[in-house]
Amino acid sequence: MYTDQTIFMTTATLLIFLGLFGISYSRNLMKTVISFQIVVFGANLALFSSGLGGASNVMANTLVLFSIVVGGSVEAVGLALIVLVHKQYGTLDPWEIRKLKH
Amino acid sequence: MVTLATEVALLLSVALLVTVTAAMFSRSMSVTIIMLFYASLILGVIFTLFQGVLVGLLHIITFAGAISVLLLTIVLMTGESNLSIGNRTLAALIGTITILVVLASSYPLFGGMVPTTETTAGSTMGLLTFVWTDRPWDLLILIVVFAAAMIGIVNLLSEKK
Repeated sequence: MYTDQTIFMTTATLLIFLGLFGISYSRNLMKTVISFQIVVFGANLALFSSGLGGASNVMANTLVLFSIVVGGSVEAVGLALIVLVHKQYGTLDPWEIRKLKH
Repeated sequence: MVTLATEVALLLSVALLVTVTAAMFSRSMSVTIIMLFYASLILGVIFTLFQGVLVGLLHIITFAGAISVLLLTIVLMTGESNLSIGNRTLAALIGTITILVVLASSYPLFGGMVPTTETTAGSTMGLLTFVWTDRPWDLLILIVVFAAAMIGIVNLLSEKK
């Protein structure tokens, strides 16, 4: 029988793998940051669902709060770096940037 | 026996996966950001409905609010937004999603289901019913304005590469 915890755990796993696929596959730095955000979504959902149905719900919620703050901060810094890269190289394609560097 | 909480969890999970997949595999960066906004919103709703109101609200404020606006600004600054105005297929898709969201949001207003059943986790899903009982039309209009503003900003400010 499926419970809501099982469903959320499965969804979180799929989200994490979708995000990792996007990070490794995308040829745009914006998409890389967005994929990272999807990984953070999956991690948040996994942390949250681990506290469902047990006594550790408050602990899980606290961990999700930490994860949201850290994920948001990392993403803001990543987007700032993207602006700098675009100013410097004029493109967001990592392969083009590597070519222009050498 | 499948409870209401499990059905809601399944529906929200499917919606989350669909929006995230659309965000990942869309060629237009504007569509990606719109889908990511909806994914953030759905995840916030999941947290809120399953005994994590504070986490859900913080998630919506951070990701659906601040980070979405930040992403939109960066996309417009770098000129990566290549949403062509007048794309009928895209307009029909966004319009259908908006209508579905509005219909789903207005469902409790017309005597539909208000989730008050206890979940398996012991959380009360009727926690947010005070919003619908006290200020229902405000919330509905807010949702519509939020969605319309997101689509409008991307459409008006997008530029072709």
